[in-house]
Amino acid sequence: MRTSFNGSRSEPGAVAYSRATVDLASRDVRFEDVPCRNLEDVLGGFGRSFQILAERTVTHAYTPENPLIINTGVLTASNVTTGLRTYFSAYSPLKASDKGLPAAMWSAGSCKFGPKLKWTGLDEVILEGRADAPVYLVIRHSEAGPQIAFEPAGDLVGLTCHQKIMWLKERYTDAHFAAIGPAGEHYEDCYMASVALSTENQLRSGDDKCRWAGRGGMGAVMGYKRVLAIVAQAPDKIAKLKPEIRDINKAVTSGPGSRKFREKEKGGLGGTWSNYEPLEKFHFVPQNNFRPTGDGKPELMFRDNVQPNFVVKAESCFRCGISCHKNVYEKNEDGTRGTFLAKFDYEPVNLLSTNLGIHDPRKAATLIALVDRLGMDNISLGTTISYVMDYNSRHPDAPILNGATFGDFEKARELVEGAGTGRFPEVGRGVKRLSQSLGETGYAMHCKGLEFPAYQPDTNPGYPWAIAGGHMSMATYMAVALEGNTSLDYWATLITTRGLLFVRDDLLGLCKFAGVTGDHAVEALKQEAGIEVTTAEMLAAVRRAFVRALWLERRQGYERAEYTLPSEVFDRPNANLGVPPFVTREFFSDLSDRVWAVFDPEIDQMANGMKA
Amino acid sequence: MPRIRFTNLFAERIGGVNSVDVQGATVESSLHALTDRHPDLTPLVWAKDGALNSVMVLFLNDRQLGAREIGTSVGPGDEIDIVPALEGG
Repeated sequence: MRTSFNGSRSEPGAVAYSRATVDLASRDVRFEDVPCRNLEDVLGGFGRSFQILAERTVTHAYTPENPLIINTGVLTASNVTTGLRTYFSAYSPLKASDKGLPAAMWSAGSCKFGPKLKWTGLDEVILEGRADAPVYLVIRHSEAGPQIAFEPAGDLVGLTCHQKIMWLKERYTDAHFAAIGPAGEHYEDCYMASVALSTENQLRSGDDKCRWAGRGGMGAVMGYKRVLAIVAQAPDKIAKLKPEIRDINKAVTSGPGSRKFREKEKGGLGGTWSNYEPLEKFHFVPQNNFRPTGDGKPELMFRDNVQPNFVVKAESCFRCGISCHKNVYEKNEDGTRGTFLAKFDYEPVNLLSTNLGIHDPRKAATLIALVDRLGMDNISLGTTISYVMDYNSRHPDAPILNGATFGDFEKARELVEGAGTGRFPEVGRGVKRLSQSLGETGYAMHCKGLEFPAYQPDTNPGYPWAIAGGHMSMATYMAVALEGNTSLDYWATLITTRGLLFVRDDLLGLCKFAGVTGDHAVEALKQEAGIEVTTAEMLAAVRRAFVRALWLERRQGYERAEYTLPSEVFDRPNANLGVPPFVTREFFSDLSDRVWAVFDPEIDQMANGMKA
Repeated sequence: MPRIRFTNLFAERIGGVNSVDVQGATVESSLHALTDRHPDLTPLVWAKDGALNSVMVLFLNDRQLGAREIGTSVGPGDEIDIVPALEGG
């Protein structure tokens, strides 16, 4: 990123970012510095990529016209802690309107691939078209500027994400890697394929410890393009740490915002896995396809109950002092750490164990590791498998697929394997398509084609307005547990104000769960990028980016009726939940009116601006 | 005068401020001083029955407080953190 301010340090036009456009068919590569049009362009991430997607007409995810945009945020590779994000954006094969048009989507992943990409001299790479044979791309730093080479990927075909990364590691020093797994190679049958990003720990230990751009099938788009992996090779370019940034980092890593993710002995609460305990107080932990039973079984997956039989080690991304990765290892007889099993976060643990009626941490670890090896989004896959089990429980005389029902680990494993290798396309294409083909959509847990994360829809009428995943792009998923407020005023305000601002860090390049404050973000922009904006200006840009995403959904055919919840939320209230059911049809209809009354004029304004 | 620090969940309701110095002799009275000054924080800090919100966790000078320790005495320079036990995903 290059700046040429002349006076004011807030003028977007004085900022240019470095882009490479790669035509995969012709192998032409074009490098250019692109002047920013607005603050969203400056901040980066989906704030920029969605403007590029808005310029395209794409009617199917698997067409050469659908670009895969790999970019960073303005603070990626900076000295700000958690400034490690890489974003993958495209029209999604998974998230699609009822008209069949693909929706714009982004997914973010951490660790060192993003910084390495930036240190090659690029802020953004756009993959156009489709290669004629499997390739991997090598993006290198050179004295003359960034270079991009195509390499044949025949040796990578069929390898897991981890195997691809380790194969590349043997051949490229001082590099980090993005790779798809077998699921991405079977893109036609698996729309939920993810992109794995290598970690320092993985390259050092040889353990399968990738980070993930998981949501929305960005790995499937990469697979369609026949790009099996990307190498970002550059020396580290870590600038001298300024005292202002050191103070921000100290506040982030030792302040209240990151306590949830730190270990108990470091003044923390033990990571997202520990969401089990407070949620179970209300019986909000999804069980058996988001139908909590109140039988206390979720307790079997509480960290305190799992830990005695394993070794749980807190590990971290590159230069991050929070250590939010809770990696589970075998415990040797002498109590020492044995073989690495899996990383336990709340989402994969719940959606691949408790929500499938499986209450065994070793089985959960097996499924999580298998999903990772094959390269799929554990949220979409877990939620689709729970639907299969639910369907089969309701139709014992006419089960589908392998007849899996709740609690059947072996059949769950078979479904995971089949989804990732193309044998079970009914699963790999997601729960919306599967439920529509079966004619039973009422308990298919998704909105707009994207499966729910591990938070009950009965407690989150904000899901429909999430633009890129229910717990990544709308901060309403814990609101009932946090405040217990079920009033219409509260929900309308939450969705249209604070809830949407959750996507701020999906522009900036930071980890949204680290709790970087608004003031710190603005100071970091000033110190690390030389850009001076107010908090209000930054948040206005975030809001515009969010509204642009809603406008893009509308342009891709989404109608108001699609902004809803699975019908069983309204028609079959669950008395086991620790709050009285409040998401009735009447409530939701009134809420929709209130929310659209706010968003509609902004979307119209955005549409007029795009036409101009 | 103790200082209460909190996460963005709180800060976004009171103009982005992430810590507040309050008058209080105990953790509990300090929290009441906080919500007296910033009523918008009341539903986050207190349950309807007046007890501490059951999903909030308190730390005093980096030590996690148990449920019965809300009456712990505090003084000038003490730091109280109130954080949700629910975050991330």
